[in-house]
Amino acid sequence: MFDTIIIGAGCAGLAAAMYAGRLNLKTLLVGENIGGTIILTDVVENYPGFIRLSGQELADNLRRHTESYNIEKAEAKVTKLRHEHNCFIVETNEGKTYQSKTIIFATGTEWRKLNIPGEKEFANKGVHYCALCDGAIYKGKPVAVVGGGDSAAKEALLMSQYASKVYVLARGEKLRGEPINNDRVAKNPKIEVITKVNVKEIKGDKIVKYAVLDKAVNGSTTLKLDAIFAAIGHIALSQLAKDVGVATNDKGEIIIDRESKTNVPGFFAAGDVCDTVFKQAITGVSEGVTAVYSAYTHVNENEFICPIGNEDLMVKSDKKA
Amino acid sequence: MAKANKVKIYTTSTCPWCMKTKEFFKAHNVKYEEVNVGDDEKARNEMFEKSGQFGVPVTDINGTVIVGYDKEALKKALGIA
Repeated sequence: MFDTIIIGAGCAGLAAAMYAGRLNLKTLLVGENIGGTIILTDVVENYPGFIRLSGQELADNLRRHTESYNIEKAEAKVTKLRHEHNCFIVETNEGKTYQSKTIIFATGTEWRKLNIPGEKEFANKGVHYCALCDGAIYKGKPVAVVGGGDSAAKEALLMSQYASKVYVLARGEKLRGEPINNDRVAKNPKIEVITKVNVKEIKGDKIVKYAVLDKAVNGSTTLKLDAIFAAIGHIALSQLAKDVGVATNDKGEIIIDRESKTNVPGFFAAGDVCDTVFKQAITGVSEGVTAVYSAYTHVNENEFICPIGNEDLMVKSDKKA
Repeated sequence: MAKANKVKIYTTSTCPWCMKTKEFFKAHNVKYEEVNVGDDEKARNEMFEKSGQFGVPVTDINGTVIVGYDKEALKKALGIA
């Protein structure tokens, strides 16, 4: 029986695990991808204490810090989450079942898809979602980044190191990146920002050849390119939380308070999966640590009745099922 | 003693999943040949021929082609329990 199971091993989950170790909570950290989304970020310049480091370095630092405490780790995917009596039961794709007094949910997000014809057909054949991963393949070739936020600005800046030309295709009237990144984009001779434009379709044969736009750019509604990198935001991975009655907003993000509490007692959440406006590594880390303190309080203030190892309850819960 | 596997991995220098795959090989003492498709046009084409796509990493283990960092598929192809 764990005091807390942390689901998700990105910045928020790793920070939570580190602090849970400090507070002597019996802790299990479960995550498919140790490091999480930050490892897909080329350069991090907004994490206090580090002027500039790579996303991978930040993840490695957080992991090492976590590993300096006595916690258990499972590199696995949680497939099922149940709330029985006042305990949580966690099942993973490795066929293991764990039981815990509290949950800290830090699963993060997945990339929002463009949802246009050609996107699926050309996935990884010119349609990509991570410039750091696949960008170098398009050395010397024209590409586009779709999106208007800071992620799009950063993806475009990274792609400009490889591509011959980078179009940024933004739906809005202007790029909404952080001023420092907007500035870098504006000064980059390879990057051309096209605003008030939507990509209608992606076309090609075996690989992407061009994008069809909803307005003419340089006299044509088709834009010749070898790749499109989508950076139009993220979708919260909150389904498992919803399964145990955790409330979300209309975007599917988990609603938390200032103590990282959700509407379900003993269930806390942190990081990009939450309904916070500003989502950064540093804010996720802060929510993770706050969640651990709330979990610590919850563990100390409650008595727990858990089904696994308790025959009477096992029978009851089986019957209920 | 495990049989010698012929392992080739197609990578880019910054791809995080490529690093994870290489770490996995190191942890399991698997020898591999690495080619960088960002620098080598021939390797880029070879990777596309094998996998039909441009996502990295692509791993070729004794002719079995695996796209992405897929621990279970890697273990299976290498015959690691």
